[in-house]
Amino acid sequence: MILKLFKTFVVTSLAAILLISVNVKPAKANSIPESDDPIKLAIYEWTGQHIASYIAGHILEDMGYNVEYVTAGTFPSAFGLSDGNLTATMEIWDNNLGDFWPKMLEEGKIEDIGAVGLDAREGWLYPLHVKDDCPGLPSWEALQSCAGVFADAETFPKGRFVEYPADWSDRATRLIQGEGLAFETIPAGSEGALVAELKASVQKKKPLVMMFWAPHWSLAEIETEWVEIPQELLDKYSLQIPRVFKAAWPGLKDKWPTAYKFLKVYQLNNQIQQVLMNKIDNEGQDPVKATKAWVDSNKDYWEPMVDKATSN
Amino acid sequence: MTETTPNDLIDLEVSKDTWPKSMLAWIFLGIVSIILFAIRSDFGWIVSFPEKWVLPFAEWINLFMNWFIDANKAAFRFFAKVLTFPMDALRTSLIWLPWPAVLIAFCATAHSAGGWRLMIFTLSAFGYILVFGYWVPTMATLALVFLSVPLSVLIGLFIGVATFASHRTERLVMPMLDVMQTFPTFAYLIPILFLMGFGPVVGLVASAIYAMPPMVRNVVLGLRRVAPEVVESGVMSGATPLQLLWTVRLPAAMPTIMIGINQSTMAAFSMIIIASVIGGSADIGWEVLSAMRKAAFGQSFLAGIVIALMAMVMDRISRGFALRHTLAHNGPESFITRNQLIISVLCLMIVFIVLAQFFQSLKEFPEVWVINPARYLNDAVDYVISEYSGILDAIKNSFLIYFLLPIRLGLENSVKPFTWGFELNNTFIAYYLTLCIAVAASLWRLWGWHAVVGIVIIAVFYYYGTTGLPWPLFIAFVTLLAFQVAGFNLAVFAFLGLIFMLLSGFWPQVMRSVYLCGAAVFFAFSLGFLFGICAAMNDRFSVFIRPINDTLQTMPLFVFLIPVIMFFQIGDFPAMLAIIMYAIVPAIRYTEHGIRNINPSTLEAAEAQGCTKIQKLFHVQLPLALPEIMLGLNQTIIFSLAMLVIAALVGTKGLGQSVYVALSSGNVGNGIIAGLSIAIIAMIADKIIQAWANKKKKELGLI
Repeated sequence: MILKLFKTFVVTSLAAILLISVNVKPAKANSIPESDDPIKLAIYEWTGQHIASYIAGHILEDMGYNVEYVTAGTFPSAFGLSDGNLTATMEIWDNNLGDFWPKMLEEGKIEDIGAVGLDAREGWLYPLHVKDDCPGLPSWEALQSCAGVFADAETFPKGRFVEYPADWSDRATRLIQGEGLAFETIPAGSEGALVAELKASVQKKKPLVMMFWAPHWSLAEIETEWVEIPQELLDKYSLQIPRVFKAAWPGLKDKWPTAYKFLKVYQLNNQIQQVLMNKIDNEGQDPVKATKAWVDSNKDYWEPMVDKATSN
Repeated sequence: MTETTPNDLIDLEVSKDTWPKSMLAWIFLGIVSIILFAIRSDFGWIVSFPEKWVLPFAEWINLFMNWFIDANKAAFRFFAKVLTFPMDALRTSLIWLPWPAVLIAFCATAHSAGGWRLMIFTLSAFGYILVFGYWVPTMATLALVFLSVPLSVLIGLFIGVATFASHRTERLVMPMLDVMQTFPTFAYLIPILFLMGFGPVVGLVASAIYAMPPMVRNVVLGLRRVAPEVVESGVMSGATPLQLLWTVRLPAAMPTIMIGINQSTMAAFSMIIIASVIGGSADIGWEVLSAMRKAAFGQSFLAGIVIALMAMVMDRISRGFALRHTLAHNGPESFITRNQLIISVLCLMIVFIVLAQFFQSLKEFPEVWVINPARYLNDAVDYVISEYSGILDAIKNSFLIYFLLPIRLGLENSVKPFTWGFELNNTFIAYYLTLCIAVAASLWRLWGWHAVVGIVIIAVFYYYGTTGLPWPLFIAFVTLLAFQVAGFNLAVFAFLGLIFMLLSGFWPQVMRSVYLCGAAVFFAFSLGFLFGICAAMNDRFSVFIRPINDTLQTMPLFVFLIPVIMFFQIGDFPAMLAIIMYAIVPAIRYTEHGIRNINPSTLEAAEAQGCTKIQKLFHVQLPLALPEIMLGLNQTIIFSLAMLVIAALVGTKGLGQSVYVALSSGNVGNGIIAGLSIAIIAMIADKIIQAWANKKKKELGLI
């Protein structure tokens, strides 16, 4: 009796093991996902980055990966990307990185995985109504001769120039001081402060010239123009075109090789971001759902990128 | 009033004898300052400290930190991993729980802590969170608070007991607590990030550190206040020291310890936003920060209110429990009813958990019920700007021209045709001098030579500005003040502290911060003092202003930065406004408290002598409340220094900005020096005012 029971037990368990082993896929080098651990994508504070991240995330999920979104400050995320607590970030701008990020990239603690594909620029921006007070704009010389228009009690007799937050960069300050221009820079403190200045300037119809960058959602709402800065000054003070790029934990390529390849070829463009930004910031749609809808209806845009990543 | 003992009389006489000597010291300082101002154009280093004399403190700190981080990284990373588990678990389960279940648990707790009124308040607070769609981030925040508060309470209890037990520990711990409470929290995020790596644990540890000092202080205070008879009876029944601690001292100190828990909870809430700068958990602080980054005032305001509401709920609940502890223990009957309550609440929660599996609307609050009035708030701000931009600019400019610019640059550099309408000339200086002498003379008759010294100092500041002041003069001034008010030890501390700031090369930023905080404290304290008097005299005003105070103190002030910038543009004025909003609260509270808590028999005596209300206020209430009011000034200064870093988001130059720059460049050394400078300024101000208030209290016979 006991023997019979034992026999059936052995047989059934053997059968079970067989069944399971048949069901389990053979461990192939290229099977997705290479690891069931979640790929952690950094979510920063701005909508454009949310769009870039959620689209990449939806596609990765479609490929079979487990994706997790982790909110992070730009600076602290460098720590996460260097030790694997974050896997990748889908949009980062080199014009507001400070010193620490470049150092980490240089030392190879974070891997630069290429540009996002956004057509970005940076420069001196003014709202269109400023032209009433300084008709010669956007010419560089005209701006210099109307410096007094921008003066206020704190900067008089110099013009007031709103600079990036001090922890981003001081390129405009270096240019103004190096060339002895009649402007005094006021650092903004945060992106919100820059945008608030821009909005208030339009509503109060007050002169404003500031350091800014594009694409930015507020430029869709407010009519602005860029000052024409002479090329030699741009070169001299490295007012470069900002590079918008993706970055990853150096261990990504070993742990999830296919996901790594995909994120490397992954590209967006201004058009896609602007359409979705409008849906999220103006129409108030949920960013996860809006990007999911876009991914579902634009398969022909992103499937070639997945194909590229999965073919050896 | 208590009786004046012969001892006090001797003290008073001695102090009277020393006044002329101290007056001589001020006159000497005055002569030195005249010499310094006369030669400053020839010796530039008197005003701006030469760069080549700067010692590389930051590099030394960085070297040490690099070594320390490399040596201890593994241990700290492990610690971070260990902490991640309960944090993730708590967060996932709070989010997983159906909202009615969480609601029931909170309402039941609120009811047992403070009855029906508190329960209704809690219910409406959570109703707000649900209706405005902040449920999930709120749960993430609660997970952080529920873990960081027990952590600081436990460690705080342990350190508190150790401090109580040994004098040597006390001498080590007390100054540490001062530093922990005045050191800007932003600045210690950097080293924690380096040690623990990225993740929500950084925010957890930062808030646990920040929330610990009030716990330690209250534990020590509570243990000291235990009546000696109680301890003696414990000793007589043969308790060992450990038994004495656990079964006699700690239970007897419980009411004060409960207050410590309450204060720790509040401190943890005030750290929510700062902790979310790191990120890692999509909590309510993150919502506020993101909205603020988009300059979306409406959204950030709505999310900010969530933090204020939760802080108020937690405050009332923990205070309710603290109060219940002070009251006599209820009989065994209530113990059973309480257990009944716990069981029935648990049952109800389980019912909802089961029901939520079938009804989606119980699991997640239905989206169609969520409303979002952010747009209307934004429209309101826009309306104010477009309608009143002329008035707003006029306000800003008059503050800048007649107050802020002179304090920063001095009259000598700020009187210009563009601002005052004329160039600085001798007639103007003559008028200024006459005015100062007239004011000084009239105050001399009222308050003696102290007032004259005060007026002279203010006049010098206003004329030369904080940035034009020779640094030897400023250091001498602070050291002398510290010596005369608080004695030799503080004078040495103040002197060394200021020399440290000078040698580390942060002097310009220090003076910039002294200027901004000084201006803000001036307004915050004068306005708060007036409001406090009104609140003490008028019950209706007191009831009206209390919730405003609560909101200002618990609401993350980040959210006001956006409209303030839109109204007044980036610069010193909006930064000053932001600091005033936060720092005015203690000024109001301490003034009201000081006046209201005067011994009623003294007041009756004044009334019996036929004092009018005004006479009573000026001759009895204000002089007697003065020490308490001065402690309010003390808090106003500490609060304004704490706001300094946050005000840097508006774009101030100074120590706050240095902390930010250090954070983004990963420069631990600079961050620590800038943070320490803020802490040192706060501690000097704190100690001077405390010493003064204690002296005054003794003179008035209040202690």
